[in-house]
Amino acid sequence: MIEKNIWQKIWQKRLMYLFISPFFLLFIVFQFFPLIYSMILSLYKWNGLGAREYVGFKNYINLFSDQMFLECLENTFFYWALSILMIIPVALIIAAVTFVISSKRIKTYQTILFLPYVSAAVSIGLVFYILFDHNAGFVNNILAAIGFERIPWLVSTKVSKFPVLFLVSWRAIPWYMLIFYSGLQSINRDLFEAAKIDGANPIQNLMNIIIPTIAPLAFFCLINLSIESFRRFAEPQILTGGGPGSSSMTLVQYLYINGFTIFKLGYASAIGYVLTFILIIVSSFQLRIMIKRSKEGV
Amino acid sequence: MAKKTISSYFAQALIFIACFLALFPILWMLLIAVKPVTESFGTIREILPSRIAFENFYQVSLLMPIWQNFLNSVIVSLSGTILTVFFCSLAGFAFAKYKFPGRDFLFIFLIATMMVPPETNVIPVFLIMRQLGWINKLISLIIPRAATAVGIFYMRQYILSFPDSLMEQSRIDGCSEFRIYWNMVLPVISPALAAWASIGLIARWNELLWPLLFMRTPEKFTLMVSLSQLPVSEGLSTPWPVIMAGATIAVLPLVILYFILQKFQVADLTAGATKG
Repeated sequence: MIEKNIWQKIWQKRLMYLFISPFFLLFIVFQFFPLIYSMILSLYKWNGLGAREYVGFKNYINLFSDQMFLECLENTFFYWALSILMIIPVALIIAAVTFVISSKRIKTYQTILFLPYVSAAVSIGLVFYILFDHNAGFVNNILAAIGFERIPWLVSTKVSKFPVLFLVSWRAIPWYMLIFYSGLQSINRDLFEAAKIDGANPIQNLMNIIIPTIAPLAFFCLINLSIESFRRFAEPQILTGGGPGSSSMTLVQYLYINGFTIFKLGYASAIGYVLTFILIIVSSFQLRIMIKRSKEGV
Repeated sequence: MAKKTISSYFAQALIFIACFLALFPILWMLLIAVKPVTESFGTIREILPSRIAFENFYQVSLLMPIWQNFLNSVIVSLSGTILTVFFCSLAGFAFAKYKFPGRDFLFIFLIATMMVPPETNVIPVFLIMRQLGWINKLISLIIPRAATAVGIFYMRQYILSFPDSLMEQSRIDGCSEFRIYWNMVLPVISPALAAWASIGLIARWNELLWPLLFMRTPEKFTLMVSLSQLPVSEGLSTPWPVIMAGATIAVLPLVILYFILQKFQVADLTAGATKG
């Protein structure tokens, strides 16, 4: 009887299932099925056309003696750590400064400061390419003019990650700045008034009012930026193509090359699974935040 | 008092520097795009063009089918954005305002799917596209992210505050559930729709990986793919003003739209996104 009731209930509410169905259909076809398919493929050697050869975990074992893979793994972690160090403090400082100065032009400033987020990574990647050109680039010309040596930004394996990092930061800072700014704005300004009456000094304000508001936001930004970092593709692809060598290549680029340039589909799937593994760990933190928020409502 | 002025000057200076750094690459791109091809541009003295060379915008169409690519980008971005706004808000509405068996489980499941990164499964997704016959067709860029977990999540959070009593009233008046969504909920949540549409539009317009994978012939490329395929090299043998003209064509539409709409309403979404 109960069984029947449930099916009746479901039938009664069929419209709701119809409303939510597009996501679940797309998820099954373009995410869930690929996730399983990818796991199977990662156990084979396959060039995409001929017969597949079962190799077990050999693709995964080979990864850890593959110098290029290890370099890309290292690069990806490098981008991750440095982009957090560059983006979050700068975004926070700019947000705080725009919050503190009361100026009529604040809207104009914000409009300008948000422009990088709107600009295409590919176009600006090309701009950065000539900005960091060894002989003709603006950056090196300025360095030379003030008496420094020219830095071989894009052609040296030692520094090629930095222009990529600058490009990534340039485009990402506005977004995080906006998040911090709207967080600061959500603080009731009366709180500062009340604190003033109680004789609180700016440092106490910082400790008691600002940091408690900013800390959860900073954590949210940290997780968000981490996820973005491990998915990084466009910026290094345009600016350096991952080179010279593979000195600025990310894991997603290496996956792309293995899958679509040299057609090692099984091996590429294994790389994908390593990435999936890393990202599941990182996003489990995000998951917790999201579930908590969904229960609180809004 | 003097202390206060010094710190406010300092703050102003900081904002000016930040604005300059944010603007410079875009302005420089525009300036090079209208320079005659033979002019160099590496130093401050050479920053302004000797004359405005609009021919670069014609020259770039000889390097790549840029207007066709432009059209492709417009089609993909607009239709993708419209679909995602529609499907996400519809599902968000169902999750926020109705009780049905398995709802809470399905919602938690939906949140959990955000952990599966799309980029890591490019190979099976490519094989599926090949099976569907969607390779080199724009539809392959429109359909897969037509309804996303993040979008549904934000829409649901936003719609939660829509008053139930209003819905009851219209149900008594004989409105269907879809009518309630279309006529009552959509207008009320328009700030959230605008925010989600802006973010979707920016992401789609600027996308590189997926169109690079699925589009195989130059006339099917989006702007980003075409630009990424241009042959560039160190030094000045590359016709940079022509390439910057192409880059400008890819950046300007969103920048102009951004100035028209002012702030793109993105703030509304981040405000909702960051509570808690």
